[in-house]
Order: sequence, then C-alpha cells, then structure tokens
Amino acid sequence: MEAENVVSLDNVSKTFRDFWLRPTVSAVDGLSLAVRRGEVFGLLGPNGSGKSTTIKMILGLLSPSAGEVKLFGLSPRSVAARRRLGYLPELSFLHPFLTAAETIGYYAGLCGLSRREASRRTRELLAMVGLESVAKRPVGEFSKGMARRVALASALVGRPELLVLDEPTSGLDPISTKEVKTLVKALAQGGMTVLTTSHLLADAEDICDRVMILNHGKSVAEGEVSSLGTSLEEFFLAKVGSVQDFALAPFLR
Amino acid sequence: MRAFLGIFQLELKALSRSRSLLMLAAASAAWMFVVPRLVVGDGTAEGMREVCLGYGLGGVLALVTVSMLAAATGSLARERAEKRLQLTMVRPVRYFAIVAAKIAALSSAGAAVLALACALAPFCAGSASNHRRCVHVLRPLMPSPREEAKAMYAEYMKSPDTPDAVKKARPSTVLRLLATRAWDRYDTVRTNAVTAWRFPAADVRGVRSGEVSARLKFSNTYNARQDVAGELRLGELSAAVSNLTQAVLVFPLADRGGEAGEEGVLSFRNLGKDALMLRPRRDVELLIPADSFFWNLLRSWVEMAATLTLVVAFGLFLSASLGRPVALFTAIVFLLVSEMSPSVVEQYPDEFGATLSDRIGLMVARTVTEVSHPISSMNPLERLSRDECVEPREVARAVAVNAFALPLALALLAAFVLPFKQEG
Repeated sequence: MEAENVVSLDNVSKTFRDFWLRPTVSAVDGLSLAVRRGEVFGLLGPNGSGKSTTIKMILGLLSPSAGEVKLFGLSPRSVAARRRLGYLPELSFLHPFLTAAETIGYYAGLCGLSRREASRRTRELLAMVGLESVAKRPVGEFSKGMARRVALASALVGRPELLVLDEPTSGLDPISTKEVKTLVKALAQGGMTVLTTSHLLADAEDICDRVMILNHGKSVAEGEVSSLGTSLEEFFLAKVGSVQDFALAPFLR
Repeated sequence: MRAFLGIFQLELKALSRSRSLLMLAAASAAWMFVVPRLVVGDGTAEGMREVCLGYGLGGVLALVTVSMLAAATGSLARERAEKRLQLTMVRPVRYFAIVAAKIAALSSAGAAVLALACALAPFCAGSASNHRRCVHVLRPLMPSPREEAKAMYAEYMKSPDTPDAVKKARPSTVLRLLATRAWDRYDTVRTNAVTAWRFPAADVRGVRSGEVSARLKFSNTYNARQDVAGELRLGELSAAVSNLTQAVLVFPLADRGGEAGEEGVLSFRNLGKDALMLRPRRDVELLIPADSFFWNLLRSWVEMAATLTLVVAFGLFLSASLGRPVALFTAIVFLLVSEMSPSVVEQYPDEFGATLSDRIGLMVARTVTEVSHPISSMNPLERLSRDECVEPREVARAVAVNAFALPLALALLAAFVLPFKQEG
C-alpha cells in the first residue's frame, strides 16, 4: 500500500566522519518532516543549516547516520522510488559536449523512455522551456539561465511525481526567475509534489504551500504559508523569537 | 537496457567529441607505419615481420591500454568531483548498469583502435603475411610441474644432499622450488638410447607427411657446441637429425608411406657421440599447420580486446573507490609492478639466504605475479609474430575470464562502493 506522505524523515541525523571514522560535523540532528502528496514544500535556512544534506538523504545520495528516510514509502536508493523522482541541483552540472536535445534525450533514456517517446518528450520539453531554436547547440555554449532551463527540462523528462528543486532560481535574472516560479506553480496545480530549498524567503512565499526553517541541522519552525496572515519573514520572526539565537538574522534580512 | 545504452553512448560521445579517440587512432596508425622504418631488423623479411607485429602492434596495445586506463580511472572520479554523477545516480538506473555501460564503452573504443592497428598490420608486415599459415604448437603430455613437485617432495626432503635451510623451510616454499626445477628438468638421451614423449593423440592422429614438424632445442652435458645426430620418429613419419648449432631446430617429419600414427608418440634416437639433454616441458614441440594469418590476427585481436576490457574494468573500479589522481597512480603502479614481477620471480626462484627486506620484496613480487600472470600471459603478439596459432580455446578462455567474469565482478564491486564514495 502506498504511503500518503511522498517523503518522510523520522528523527534523522547525519554526522560526517573523517578517515579514522571520528565525527567531524553534525549536519542534521534529529530531523523529522513529511511532504504530503500534491503540496509544494519549502526547506529554508541559511548556508550550512543542513538543507543540502537533507535533500541528498532524500535523494539517496547520502545515507542517514540515524533515523529513517522514506521516499514513496520505499528506500530512496530503490529503483522504484527513483523512477518517480525528478531532481534539479543547485548548479546545472550538464555535459558541455552534448546539445540541449541530446541532454534531455540522455536523461529520457535513463528514465527508461523508448527512443520514440524520448524524442517526442524532448521536443515537448524544449518548447516548454523555450529552447527549441537552440536544441542543436552544445550546452557548454549556453548562458547560466539557458543551462538552468535545460536542467529543469531534464528533471521533468521522466514525468516525476516528486520534483526536488535545490535553489531553483539561483543565478537567474528576474524574468527567468518569474518564469520558473510560474512553471513550478503550474506543475503543482497539475498534481506534482514539489520539494524545494531556497535562501530567498520571497521566492518561497510565492510558490510554497508549507515551509520548514532549518538551523544548525534542526527544524526551528514549520507552518503553512496560506495561514500566516502576514509575511513569511514576520511569521518566522514571531515563531523563533530572537533570531540572533539561531544565527538566522542574515538569512531573514 | 535503455539506460545502459544511454550511458554507453554518452561515454563514446565524450571520447569522440573531445577528439581523444581520433588522436589515439591517428597515433596508433602512425605508429604502425613509423615503427618498421625506425627499428633496424635483421635484414630478412621474417625479421621485419616480427618487428611489425611485435613492436608495431605491441606498441599500439601499450598505448591503447594506458590511454583507456587513464580514461577509466578518470571517468567516475571526474563525474563525481564535477557532481554530474549524482544526476545519474538519482535516476532509475542501477549503479551496476552505470559501471557496466562505462566498461563496455571504453573497452569498445579501445578495441576499435586495436582493430584499426590490426587492419594495418598486414600492410606493415608485407603482403606475403596474408598467405602464411600459422601452426598449432603441441607439447608433450606430462604432469604439471606442481604435480611433479608433490611427487618428488618426500624423497627430496629425505635426501642427505638437501640443504638444512631447505629442510627447515615451509612445505609450500619447498614445493614451489621443486616446481621450478620440474619446469626445467632435463631428459638425458645417451648414445644409441631412445627417448619418447607422448603428445595429444587426437591432435596428431591422421597427420600426413610434410604436415608436421618437430621443434627441438638440444643441449649437451658440456654445454658447448657439438654435433647432434640422430633420428626422430612419429608413427610412420621420420626425420634425420644432424646439426651443429644446438639452436632451436625445426625438422619436418616426412613419410615412409604412412601417417603420424594413432599413439601420438614422438621418439628420438641419439646416434651422436655424446649424451644429449632436452627439457621436455620447454624444448620439445610438434608443429601442425592450422589456419591462415588472417584468422590468427582476428583471434589475437579478440584476445587483446578481452584483456583490455579487464584493464578498463580495473580502472573503473579504482575510479569508483578513489579520487582521480590516486586511482590513476594506483593503476599505473599496479601495471608496472605486474610487468616487472615475473622477471623478479624468475631470477630469484627462492628466498633462502635473502635478507628480510628482500624476502618481503619477493613475497610481493610473487603474489602480484600469481594474481596477474594468468591475465598478462594472455598476450598473443609473440605467437602471432612467430606464426604460432592463437588457439581458439585460449581465446574463449580470455573472453570468458577477461571480458566477462572478472569485469563483472569488478563492476559489482564498483557498484557496491559507489554510494559510499558519495558520502565524501
């Protein structure tokens, strides 16, 4: 039976160790969260708060030191769970020698799409991100914004049920940022679950249904954006009291 | 399967669009044509042929091996460092498929360059090569040196001539020493005496006059050049032996109206003045014609490509486990040590009287040789250049072990290590 929560973390901790297995950094400490089907969930926090480590554990790239991570009720490393997942990293990490069409086609192949289906889906996604005219240009020649759009198209190629976005508007100009936000909203309206990280509260406020703020690997506040009745910044300031205690001041400012 | 093909194609595109593959192919082709003009042969067509096939193809094999090893050790490590690997690992593709596809792509690229060099080999070695036939080389049926060592062990340890240091040594050390001796053991053939060696009857049966030769390397008790005289016989076929050189001699066995017989027994009667010595495991062979140079070249290519697959798999395993510079360094050190170790082991067959550090060095050399020898010995170029048949069963073994079993094991290990390495 399928779990109601698309992502669930139960008292998860992650401690990095050195070569001699001595603990060096405790990146996440006793974190529990649940992302419900169809919602846009924002994981917010300053640099070093444990957002990326949490995302990597959800993606199965890191294993937790304690606690349990489930993706669609399965281990994040299971192929069945990964089949329902799309991921946009903070930087695009594309193969510079591939063209835009080849890049999307490559990830379509990894998602198991047939050659014909991959070709059709590639055309569809290139149109969606507005890169049809440069489909045959190597992505190494693209601007950061264009590369970001190719990466987003690649994340969507397998028609994922959960889309994980790591700083999706990072490095984009205001117009591209708005386009990405509009796209995420459209995807969410289409029933896709979205888990996003951001250090920009305004962005999170625009697209998220629910948010969690992390600091030093712990959740310091969590709530639904629609029920705030105030700005996200004010809400969290009220929630956490003195932001100085949490080293959140630069993040909220 | 689509994921496998996708990664396979991506790896090939990376090689071709960076022009690495083109450069490697051009360098290999140039090497095949330049070598015969640089290396001074012995002036004969045979010598030039050995130069072309041995140095030419050998040089290309070394170049391709090192290049593909460098590409393999860099492949996963570079993608991990540049964070591209995580984009593949979050897709619904098994980690094993990622490694296996990369092994397949890199070894295919290397095999393609080797195929180009092999295609150029007949032009480089002279057109006469195409019409030559290779020969099956048969050796006497004997127990293996290890089995012979076991049989000799009890008697050797009881003998008063055996040094005390040996008697105190571990049985495995003594057995290794005896196996080395068994490999070099001589049969002494006294004047007017006959010595016989049994060959695989199925291979010899029905062979006709002129189709079989005996290849022998004589030695005598005084280790000086001296006339050898006698008669070789294989069933109804025979050859007179008369020569001064004591080098490697080939005697075509001609008929007296018959065949090689059912038994496959080659006998030698010594008609000279002195006793002669022959090491049956090394100095006595029967040569029977096989197929053409083309087929032998094709089998050599398959065997080289299979060994290259193993090298690539080893490089990718290191790449999955280590950072790029460490993986490349480890691979090259292992390659060098595995090349040098057999000669160290051959020169120092035992460690009696050696210092502790020498003993440790010998132990390392011996271990590396035992691990790598079954693989490194699968180099067919020496036989190809001497027109000796690269046997199909040996090629089948190379394909099964080097191209499938060992790369599969290494790919599984690499796939197991891959997620742990992501931990940083």
